[in-house]
Amino acid sequence: MKYAIEVRGLVKSFGEVRALDGIDLGVAPGTVMGLLGPNGAGKTTAVRVLSTLTVPDAGTARVLGLDVVAQAAQVRERLSLTGQYAGLDDGLTGEQNLVLIARLLGASRSQAKARAHELIERFDLAHAASRPVAGYSGGMRRRLDLAASIVRRPEVLVLDEPTTGLDPNSRNGLWEVVRELVAEGTTVLLTTQYLEEADQLADSIAVVDSGRVIASGTPSQLKQTVGGLVLRLRPVRPDALAQLRDLADWTIGASVREEDATLFVPVAHAGEATALMSRVSQAGVDLAAFGLDEPTLDEVFLTLTGHRTGTDEKKTEVPA
Amino acid sequence: MTTETVTAWTTRRGAFAQAASMTARSLVSIRNQPAQLVEFVMIPLMILLSVTFFMGGQMMGSWQAFLDYAGPSIIAMGLFFAITATGLGLFGDLKSGVFDRLTAMPVSRFALLAGRVAADMVKHAWSLLIVGGVAFAIGYRADGGVAGVAGAAGVMLLFLFACSWTMVLVGLTAKSEEQIQTWMISLLMPLAYTSTIFVQKDTLPEPVQWWATVNPLTSMADSMRVFLDGGTPGGELLALLGWCAALFAVFVPLSLRAYRRKLTS
Repeated sequence: MKYAIEVRGLVKSFGEVRALDGIDLGVAPGTVMGLLGPNGAGKTTAVRVLSTLTVPDAGTARVLGLDVVAQAAQVRERLSLTGQYAGLDDGLTGEQNLVLIARLLGASRSQAKARAHELIERFDLAHAASRPVAGYSGGMRRRLDLAASIVRRPEVLVLDEPTTGLDPNSRNGLWEVVRELVAEGTTVLLTTQYLEEADQLADSIAVVDSGRVIASGTPSQLKQTVGGLVLRLRPVRPDALAQLRDLADWTIGASVREEDATLFVPVAHAGEATALMSRVSQAGVDLAAFGLDEPTLDEVFLTLTGHRTGTDEKKTEVPA
Repeated sequence: MTTETVTAWTTRRGAFAQAASMTARSLVSIRNQPAQLVEFVMIPLMILLSVTFFMGGQMMGSWQAFLDYAGPSIIAMGLFFAITATGLGLFGDLKSGVFDRLTAMPVSRFALLAGRVAADMVKHAWSLLIVGGVAFAIGYRADGGVAGVAGAAGVMLLFLFACSWTMVLVGLTAKSEEQIQTWMISLLMPLAYTSTIFVQKDTLPEPVQWWATVNPLTSMADSMRVFLDGGTPGGELLALLGWCAALFAVFVPLSLRAYRRKLTS
């Protein structure tokens, strides 16, 4: 089997809105694919189709070779979903939530308890296991939610915006768990609005906008589609920024951007960067720091869609 | 990381065992928040007390006589209104992420719905125990004794169980909580007031009398009365069993269909 997840021409409309407009995806077994896009791009609809919660209007989606519509029951046996809104019962304790899932999956009472304890240990929730989930923090909820998804080890795990709203610390912890699962052979599809997250976790990335895949490849391939490198210049005196900007415009004329008293100058190749650096030193501007970087995925997205991920009009969440 | 236990449980418990797990899930949240136990007794209790004390005297001369005639069926009506909770509970479940997870799991659809209904039945049984106890305390006595009371309670709970499935369908198809409340008032109230719960049939206007005869709540109220009076039930019990069978036969498949449809919409 070439792909653990294979999606061809998937279409789904909700009334007038075409949430999926012919999506194609292929995820190799044991790898992580990141579905990257702003709110309303169709990520969640794609996830719902794959986890048999929504039936598509057209196209096919296969999980481990099984059709998600015709063989939905078999897909449910082998795929596990961690939805965008925690799939937990607030009235139950963390432990009771896990025991319920295990029981529904066929575990005996003692097996269910044993498995719940194991997961509680692994996900560092021992201190809260006997408290109702209603009082959990966002990070604890997410961890428990992920634990609930692997009560029975799935072959394919689908994560819908697993770290939206988490602080950086909780986010790193969750990434670590996802990496462990992948190391154990699980295929993962995750959606995210965070470029850094896709860059950190994914073996391949599909950039989604308005229900279509507008670009796909490995993180470094995507960065190459934007082309070139970025020269980072931080002057000792912040008021030298304007002078640096003049030098950069005069040299290359590309669209520079300024952030945290640092100037980011796109260059076609290292030679251009060297030329600019020598002009900067000739002009006598003292630099506190400089460097040559690959473009970030944020810049990739800007190039591909013409709008930045963070400035999408419908966007309401604040990145952690 | 510690060695993990085998997690590929090969045994698959049946739909009823899964429903039992779902029932336990709904009931466990009561253990975590015991205040709920008081909440769902309040409505049937207040209906019994206010109708008996404030309307009973006018309707039958004395509230004692009214309690004797209508007490049990007013308790039944109070519980009957409480089946709305099934629709509201299911609506809430569907809106939260829990049911997304459960629906994406290899779990019987029937079990997910039946678990909610069964848990609500346990709550109804609890309400019945408390409100029935209050009725006893203020002077209600049944000629049929313990056996009669048990028979009447059984009949009532069976009917509520069947009716709850109408609420499952409402919970699955409703667009909002308000819609479910509206359904309750506009459907359950007229049904209750055109039955023999409050009034004797011959006091109703002629055209309504026919409806009152076939009204399922009439079959329920009459069956309960026969049991409570220590008699042997006959036609009214058959009619009630027929209603229950029909409700199951229609609303269980309709609910499962509505559940499937939710996925394709």
